[in-house]
Amino acid sequence: MGSSEQVAKPGTEMPPLHGVRVADFTLHAAGPFCAHILALLGAECIKIETAGRPDIFRKPHPVYGRMGAATFDQVASNKLSVELNLKDPRGVDLAKRLVAVSDIVAESFRPGVMDRLGLNYEALKAVKPDIVMVSVSASGQTGPERGYAGYAPLFGAAGGLGTLTGYEDGPPTEIRHVMDHSTGLTAAMAVLAAYLRKTRTGAGQHVDVAAREVACGFIGDALLQFAATGVTPRRMGNDAPQIAPHNVYPCTGDDAWVSIVVADEDEWRTFARVLQRPEWLTDARFASAQMRWTHRRELDAQISAWTRGRSREEATRVLQAAGVAAFPSYTAQDIVDDAHLNERGTIKSMVGPDGESRKVAGPPWRFSRTPAKLDRWTPGLGEHNHYVFGELLGLSPEEIEDLVQAKVIY
Amino acid sequence: MSGERNAPLAGFTVVEHAEGVAASYAGRMMAVMGATVIKVEPPGEGSGLRRAAPLLTRDPAASALFHYLNVGKRFVTCNVGSSDGRRLLDELMARAELFIDDTPVRRRPALRLDPQSLAVQHPQLVFLSVLPFGAAGAHADYRAYELNVFHAGGEGYLMPNGLTLETFPDRPPLKIYGHFAEFIGGTSAVCAGVSALLVRDNVGGQFVDVSVQDANISVGCFAVQRLGDGVLESRHGRSFKYGGVLECRDGHIGVLTLEQRQWEGLVKLMGDPEWALDPALRDPLERSRRGAEINERLRAWAKTQRVDDLVKKGQALSVPLAKYNEPADILESEQSKARGIFAPLDLPVFGSVPAFTAPFQLNGEALGVTCAVAEAGADNEAIWCEWLGHKTAKLEQWGQHGVV
Repeated sequence: MGSSEQVAKPGTEMPPLHGVRVADFTLHAAGPFCAHILALLGAECIKIETAGRPDIFRKPHPVYGRMGAATFDQVASNKLSVELNLKDPRGVDLAKRLVAVSDIVAESFRPGVMDRLGLNYEALKAVKPDIVMVSVSASGQTGPERGYAGYAPLFGAAGGLGTLTGYEDGPPTEIRHVMDHSTGLTAAMAVLAAYLRKTRTGAGQHVDVAAREVACGFIGDALLQFAATGVTPRRMGNDAPQIAPHNVYPCTGDDAWVSIVVADEDEWRTFARVLQRPEWLTDARFASAQMRWTHRRELDAQISAWTRGRSREEATRVLQAAGVAAFPSYTAQDIVDDAHLNERGTIKSMVGPDGESRKVAGPPWRFSRTPAKLDRWTPGLGEHNHYVFGELLGLSPEEIEDLVQAKVIY
Repeated sequence: MSGERNAPLAGFTVVEHAEGVAASYAGRMMAVMGATVIKVEPPGEGSGLRRAAPLLTRDPAASALFHYLNVGKRFVTCNVGSSDGRRLLDELMARAELFIDDTPVRRRPALRLDPQSLAVQHPQLVFLSVLPFGAAGAHADYRAYELNVFHAGGEGYLMPNGLTLETFPDRPPLKIYGHFAEFIGGTSAVCAGVSALLVRDNVGGQFVDVSVQDANISVGCFAVQRLGDGVLESRHGRSFKYGGVLECRDGHIGVLTLEQRQWEGLVKLMGDPEWALDPALRDPLERSRRGAEINERLRAWAKTQRVDDLVKKGQALSVPLAKYNEPADILESEQSKARGIFAPLDLPVFGSVPAFTAPFQLNGEALGVTCAVAEAGADNEAIWCEWLGHKTAKLEQWGQHGVV
């Protein structure tokens, strides 16, 4: 599949990765999110699984109280699905044939697994010399801890982000799915750049993304501060150095909060006016940013007294109208109901094969000429076996059936 | 270090006109990946972020955040509100493939930085707009900082969980350290910007509207998915039933056993204590039900243990656990060294300092950082005169009139 000659043409409104094919070996969350981003950008993303060990969303998940398969999985949406048993050499051979007609390969096995399967970068380069491959793992493909097992909170721990997250008088804190998905997003960024390079130079690349290093990237400023000054940054709750007010305040309703940040003198004067507290402007405790920060808990108490009598929406409306940064602490329900987000396509309605309708997260960008798209529900396992093995790889229906019987397409 | 041969964006020129963290981070990642990124700042003291916490020095204020965000860039000053300054910006844009901008929507038309003006004047330019709520929609002109967009994206409401929440159940939701939401916005912006570059030869330039809120909703999509399953997540309901953060004798670890063999490895790591050998606990649902009891035991045991012992022995048993690393641990770890994720950066006052480069390798090599942050306008002569051909006398004249 040549890509450059098949990308979007003027006026066609094709997404930017139209004509790009991704062989997606990723599982769980981080790797699949990377491939999902590529799929939103228009790539034809073929998810490769096996019935012997299907992806996590196809199984019960007691931790979340889900006793059967999920009906919808965001990070598998917009993808095609094939079954392939990579324990069988014929499965590996078919995987290579699929890679030979693909532009990008994504995988998220533990380092060493692709080597054992005979599907590492060198092997895939042999069947597709300009292939761009992305490997997503906990600690990277190299180094003494490359084999360490992990999940999102552990990436956040090893990378220091969880260490610096927490109240100043409390323990470090788990970073959850956003750690997985931000790893996938980072992987998508890097593989897109590598693919762009390929279109210009003809040379493929192997992108090796380490989730714990993604967490390090989120504390890059703290790492630099420590390396230069020897000062170890500490957990600081919702505080931001130099800035006060800077917190989340209670509003009317159950567990309802509004975030408010007042970052400079103009905003401070406006804030005092809106809250009808002119005395704050002559109060020595609040005379400068430094003084406000020193007395931030007293300020927080007084601000909370104001927010407690208001809804999150009213507090936001009044403050934003005056130019003060405020926004409700959004629940998932708030997000799917938000008119701004629905108008932008950030939230979309989708209907599944069984008629199930639900709100899902749409593409997070708006391109004026090559719009991204989300138009496929989570595929059934092997739903696209015939398209991929038949139309793309040229196997006859009989050959496919034989491979199904032999548990190669399985 | 990865040289030019691996830098995927080598040969691209990016003009960055950005005050905020998200757009600056997008420019950073493009620079680290090899693009020539020219940061345009207002004359005088330059970007306000130069003085933002955390600080390397207080007097003069030098920001670690700014240094991190702007490594590898070139620095020019230009008052884009003046006609001469705006012309200079046009000259830069004419030489660039991509323009990053986070000017608030309401201010763009007066500066001729609206998408329509740029589409006419620079039809081949990718205009990458990076704003808290995007460039279109009812909230497009809302003011927001990190804390606000973190909560607008949904993850703010869901933090914290586990031990932190148990310790302080009545406190307000908790933010993730630093500028997490804005970095997500910046990373999402690079995905979109690079995608637009991919099709630029075929469709020309275009306007790409990136919203930090949208990016965070995308990354936090699991909460929207769970809502579709009929569950509205809250920080109180989202904690793992057992495991999580454990305090040891000399620090903290995280442990999470989602699979049966991982639980069995954890039991072995604990030395097969009698309570854990209860046959009923072989059932994952029973473990979930008795999570509080398991946590009590786990926490008591962990307090007698040393972090490094647990991580080494636990990982050997395939138990997913990790140390809550401090910055010193990360800088000194053999894993970091083997991966080459820090590169020397020459900082004023401090000299050579290891700086984090990027969370990925290309063709088995780490990326490098080419140069440290310089003063605002440090590259004025090189860019305005040597590159764009203006005379030094003109530059001096512009300097006197506050244009550069």
